[in-house]
Amino acid sequence: MKFELTEEQNLIRDMVREFAEKEVAPSAAIRDEEERFDRALMFDRLGELGLTGIVFPEEYGGAGADYLSYAIAVEELSRVCASTGVTLSAHLSLCANPIYLFGSEEQKQQFLAPLARGEKMGAFGLTEPSAGSDAGGTKTTAVKDGDNWVLNGTKIFITNAGDAETYVVFARTDKEAQKHHGISAFIVDKGTPGFSFGKKEKKMGIRSSPTMELVFENCRIPLSQLLGEEGQGFKIAMKTLDGGRIGIASQALGIAQGALEAAVNYAKERKQFDTPIAKFQGVMFQLADMATQIEAARLLVYNAAYKASAGLSYSQASAMAKLMASETAMRVTTQAVQILGGYGYTREFPVERMMRDAKITEIYEGTSEVQRLVIGSALTR
Amino acid sequence: MKILVCIKQVPDMESKFKIAADGRWYDNSDLVFRMNEYDEYAVEQAVRLKEQVGGELTVLSIGPDRVKETMKKALAMGCDRGVHVADDTIAAKDPMTIAGIIAEYAKDQNFSCIFTGMQSQDRGSGQVGVLLAEMLGLPAVTTIVDFAWDGDLFSVKRELEGGIKAKVTVQGPALFTCQLGLNTPRYPTLPNIMKAKKKELISLPVEQLQKTVILQETERLYFPEKKSGGLILEGEVASLADRLIGILKEKTAVLA
Repeated sequence: MKFELTEEQNLIRDMVREFAEKEVAPSAAIRDEEERFDRALMFDRLGELGLTGIVFPEEYGGAGADYLSYAIAVEELSRVCASTGVTLSAHLSLCANPIYLFGSEEQKQQFLAPLARGEKMGAFGLTEPSAGSDAGGTKTTAVKDGDNWVLNGTKIFITNAGDAETYVVFARTDKEAQKHHGISAFIVDKGTPGFSFGKKEKKMGIRSSPTMELVFENCRIPLSQLLGEEGQGFKIAMKTLDGGRIGIASQALGIAQGALEAAVNYAKERKQFDTPIAKFQGVMFQLADMATQIEAARLLVYNAAYKASAGLSYSQASAMAKLMASETAMRVTTQAVQILGGYGYTREFPVERMMRDAKITEIYEGTSEVQRLVIGSALTR
Repeated sequence: MKILVCIKQVPDMESKFKIAADGRWYDNSDLVFRMNEYDEYAVEQAVRLKEQVGGELTVLSIGPDRVKETMKKALAMGCDRGVHVADDTIAAKDPMTIAGIIAEYAKDQNFSCIFTGMQSQDRGSGQVGVLLAEMLGLPAVTTIVDFAWDGDLFSVKRELEGGIKAKVTVQGPALFTCQLGLNTPRYPTLPNIMKAKKKELISLPVEQLQKTVILQETERLYFPEKKSGGLILEGEVASLADRLIGILKEKTAVLA
């Protein structure tokens, strides 16, 4: 067993870290404050650097790197700005990846390649008002009519919505079938008549990442935009989320790492009773626990990413990684705020933003409870 | 055009430095290494020139195996091939010896243009570039902050003292040492990082290229001694002035 990154992975980390610190970090606080998504910085630049298609083969506009490189990129972006991290994760894991895994050759050329090259941004429409953790409860419908599928329904809490050009959307195609079997996946372009956006969510964290409703009213798309086979939608969604969890776990890991570094720097500078507070064991031990938990989470995340690249089954590993990393992020950011005290509670320092950003990682792309369900049901099968 | 860029791997300057056990250099353990900042400007300029005129761009670095990681970055930024001179004791070598090693490699290669950083961030001698030019019989233009090639002549700007710049034109082949402000080095993009893996990176033993003995040795490396803290005078202004005059008379030659 080798716990060493390759030269390429190290180079990728150095490059993304330099980019994140120089270009993304300076505006992270103000974008959060203004709830503003900066497409040129948070997506187009990622495309120029080759990050939008990291894991896909060159023939589809990708860079041909592995999942660990992807995990490292999301981690490094999220270390300074969790909103930028999730923009990449939702685009790559949730939109481009299902098209790569389940799309026809034509669909890959038409939809995946521009996504991978960063010319188009992707999003994923699964969640509905009454279908969150219970994805089988999807109520959006797709009915075949001549040369078209006709979509009707509403999707909520959709990351990248509004700005993204390409959407992978799930809808019920067979009302008679058992709930999991009657769902299919579709690729829908922004601008298709009958496809519009509802309200923009006002969120606690990741406020610089847009989250909106998708509204389908007799939205007609060509039959060729069915992704995978009819009725295969639930399987596509679950497989997609297995990969997505690596992205969110990496985001959580980056948030935690950023908070730890902020806490360490502050504790070394801040003096009380004429002593830097880092020298007090009460603080030092907290920092030690934070660092240890982050390292444990990192090993789980990298392990899941390694398995995904090696073609091994990684559903369990990615669930464990996401559970551990997101709960670590919440714990570590809360402790970081505590160490910074009153300053930590203000927006002068980044840790309060990190704490707000961390919370969502325990909720989206499968709550911590769903991760425990995934891990637990496999154990007790 | 055949172009050479020489780079050095140096510790991240934010590192906490310790003196090595032999007292002659810094301790290498626990340090994070990266490309010397001035060499990044050199690589960027070399890549731009190659993109302008075509040809082949070679990156050269001397040092232990770990310098290959820094060379990979140069390859990912756009260099075509790498020549690593394997040397575990590079830190003990003086600028003359280092320039000699590079000259021995470069003498038969017919490079039309050679770039180096203007100095390294750790040793900071600023001599390797000019010594190399001398050994190869080439003109050297140092501390350049602007560079152009019009197909015949190199036109560069040099940074002089006091904010003054000098415009220099030179016929190739020539060597340039690069200063901050010359350009903004590009990020190695992900596809280029992946492509760098397939580029040629050869390793030559230093014994094959080092023809001279080391003339200059570092005897001792040490942190500057800590100066004692300043003296703060407190009290009424009138008496403060008298006390200050008294101290200046007594302890310095400022007042007779």
